[in-house]
Amino acid sequence: MDEVYAVQLEENYNITLDRVPMDIEEVLNILSTEKQAGETEGPVDMIWINGENFQTAMENDFLYGPFTHQLDNFQDYVDEEDPEHQQDFGYPIDGHEAPYGKAQFVLIKDEAVTEETPENAEELLEFAQTYEGQVTYPALPDFTGSAFVRNIIYEFVDPSEFEDMEADKEVVAEAIEPAFEYLRELNPYLWNEGQTFPSDQPQLNNMFMDGEVVLMMSYGAYDVAVAIENGEYPETAQSFIFENGTLGNTNFIAIAGNSTNKAGAMVAINEMLSPEMQASKYEQLRTLPVLDHDSLSEEQQALFDEVDPGPGTIPQDELLSARLPEMPGELVPIIEELWLEEVVGQYNE
Amino acid sequence: MRSSKKEIILLLIPQFIMTLFLITGILNGLLQSFGVMPSVGLLQPTFAYYQEVLSSSMTLRSLFFSLWLAFASTLLSGGIGLWICYLFINQDQLPGWVQRIIRIPIIVPHIVVALFIILLFTPTGWFARIFYALGFENIQNFFRYWVFDPYGNGIILGYLWKEIPFVIFFTLALMRQIDTSLGEAAQTLGASRFQSFLHVTLPLCKKTIVSALFIIFMFTFSAYEMPALLGPTLPKSLPELAYIEYTHPDFANRPYAMAINGLILIISLIISLIFFYWSEYSSKKEKKNEKK
Repeated sequence: MDEVYAVQLEENYNITLDRVPMDIEEVLNILSTEKQAGETEGPVDMIWINGENFQTAMENDFLYGPFTHQLDNFQDYVDEEDPEHQQDFGYPIDGHEAPYGKAQFVLIKDEAVTEETPENAEELLEFAQTYEGQVTYPALPDFTGSAFVRNIIYEFVDPSEFEDMEADKEVVAEAIEPAFEYLRELNPYLWNEGQTFPSDQPQLNNMFMDGEVVLMMSYGAYDVAVAIENGEYPETAQSFIFENGTLGNTNFIAIAGNSTNKAGAMVAINEMLSPEMQASKYEQLRTLPVLDHDSLSEEQQALFDEVDPGPGTIPQDELLSARLPEMPGELVPIIEELWLEEVVGQYNE
Repeated sequence: MRSSKKEIILLLIPQFIMTLFLITGILNGLLQSFGVMPSVGLLQPTFAYYQEVLSSSMTLRSLFFSLWLAFASTLLSGGIGLWICYLFINQDQLPGWVQRIIRIPIIVPHIVVALFIILLFTPTGWFARIFYALGFENIQNFFRYWVFDPYGNGIILGYLWKEIPFVIFFTLALMRQIDTSLGEAAQTLGASRFQSFLHVTLPLCKKTIVSALFIIFMFTFSAYEMPALLGPTLPKSLPELAYIEYTHPDFANRPYAMAINGLILIISLIISLIFFYWSEYSSKKEKKNEKK
């Protein structure tokens, strides 16, 4: 990011990229405080955002736009018809954020430790029974744990059911009950008998590296390759997905409504969408590119085809062909709340 | 040295400024807890958020959990701390190794303590590994309920490691002074060492001891990081619950977070009031006794 992209911006456009790593909640708080104070010249220009937070930002009118139709690279290379570019967690995008990267949920195991590869919910239950006490997932509302539970929900309920679902606790509870029944059935075989869960994904990651658990999960499809190359995971670590597919989403870059340099931000975002930059990002950061392969020239396609995502990964086309859409963002916190109330430490009678 | 009134005011200005920031923050939070949040269009003050928070079984469980953590950590660290004071009270200086052991926890931040606890006491931690190597086969089961357990053992353990030295640090100097004067007087009159400690030294140090316990209670009741790092998935402590509500993507949810914070604030205030009235009352009583 800083090594390639920032340098490119500085050299070609005289734009200095000042990257400030921050939780998205914090960014929204800044924007909210500024708006409350009537500040029209905010310090934030570009925001890496998606999902529920995008919805919050839109509903509170924090973002500038629509702007994506003004970007050359967006028009040339991004497939606007792709549902993931129309809606972000079910919320219409309407040109207020430009796709930046794609993520997909994967499960990870160590081939040397576990032969079995659970490819659906039922096999996962058998897997947990075989490796009793060595399987678990991060406690919701951890991002990864939450994605895992949504993925399990899709094993029992068709994704389309959630498209227009009312964000009402009882409605949601009824719809996802079969999946929660399954999770309660899973509980006795989990780490600490499902009484407690690792508090977040980094903790699960430590447990996986320590060999305390045999199953890891990540919303970054290629994280496994980076971890193997860093020596954190053994060479035999392998990512896999459910046969019904796993959750995928696109993350985006938006522009703050009170940004003082909207033009600069647009140039920067346009650059981010250039085939060279997306290919470099794919190679360096191992995130799935967002450009439409067919709209690229042969030369540009080669840029992407040459990239080897690394050990333990699933080929890009295989991932993308088994991609399930995210459900509307407002349902997510409801599911997280219900999980605490109805899954943790509970068993089916 | 006597300072004039002007000087005193000048000296207090930095404190005033800091307090002003603090109070603005608290007031803003309180306003939000009553549902007043102009930036998202909430203007009508209401008790609804408090009502809802107080009627949820999740919050009540968290309230009891937080109170349990605070009481258990306070009483245990107080008891053990005073017992250690008793052991070393008749020595002019703490032995070097004790001093060192006491100093380390005081400077180590809570978050690092949490890491130690995880490294040492989890089923795959160092202690489990050491005992396993010594031939204890099922030692993992023994360590299963030390950290991440529903009673908060790991959290309390972490607090003990931090707060016992704090109790010693806070009370030992005064206790030693009293013990060597009045305590020795009692002993020459026939009291045993333990009797003089229990009936002379402890009562005379009451105020200092209670102050130390008060500080520990306030901290353990409202701190976030230890329960977050060492606590179970359920029950969650009140500060954790407030944090989850606070990070909820919908801003309209913010008042719930603030109502939970309000709850923490109210309970803390009640306990502070009890503490201050008690200490006023006991000072008055002391003065009366002196007059007699």
